[in-house]
Amino acid sequence: MKLGVLVSDYRNMEDTLLRLTADTLGIILVSNGVYHAKVKENGKTSPVLEKSPHLYALLEDIQTRGLENEIDGRVKSITYNDLVDLIFGEYEKVIWI
Amino acid sequence: MAIKKIAFIVKSLPYKTEASRLALTHAIASQTVEIYLEDGDNVEPVLAFIGDGVLNCLKDQKAMNAYGVTSLEQHLKNSLLLDLKVLICKEDIGKFSLSEDSLIMDAEDIGGETKANIVPFSEIMKEMESANHLMFF
Repeated sequence: MKLGVLVSDYRNMEDTLLRLTADTLGIILVSNGVYHAKVKENGKTSPVLEKSPHLYALLEDIQTRGLENEIDGRVKSITYNDLVDLIFGEYEKVIWI
Repeated sequence: MAIKKIAFIVKSLPYKTEASRLALTHAIASQTVEIYLEDGDNVEPVLAFIGDGVLNCLKDQKAMNAYGVTSLEQHLKNSLLLDLKVLICKEDIGKFSLSEDSLIMDAEDIGGETKANIVPFSEIMKEMESANHLMFF
């Protein structure tokens, strides 16, 4: 299964996300989920970034929060158009947690 | 005749919910209530950012471009412009590895003279203890 996961929170979602398995797991950070792409707590990057090599973050949400230029190199910034392409072209199923 | 001290404590992340925006707008609005009060009465607000809330204080927020709304950065600068006491928790910016340069510490670009202060949580706790009312957002 190719599963796309939209993550819109910074807290209280790891218990679900970190247990998900898929042949291809895409993690798409939106809204407050984009903090996973930047914030280091106690010097450590978010465990969400270790879950999959397919990491995306919505550029508008990054810019809104003043996080531009500080995004983890593993995360690809995407536009809304890119997001639509991902949802319709890359993943068989998409969930929002 | 009395001064009522209100502590507005922001622990929420910005934008997904209105919580932190409400804290800032209420704190700013508290500066205008004097006209509705008796002579000698007033409100003394203090605004403190703790936990995830310190991420409200990051510079270069472009909320108007993306969301069409005023940024928390602008509200924070307006708070400083109105000489509100703004405190940012030292331990929490350390936890997130944020530098002082990455934070909104002043509103000089809009004519403000008051600066935000990075302080230990114990100092924020003292502000909470001395406040007449505590409001958590």
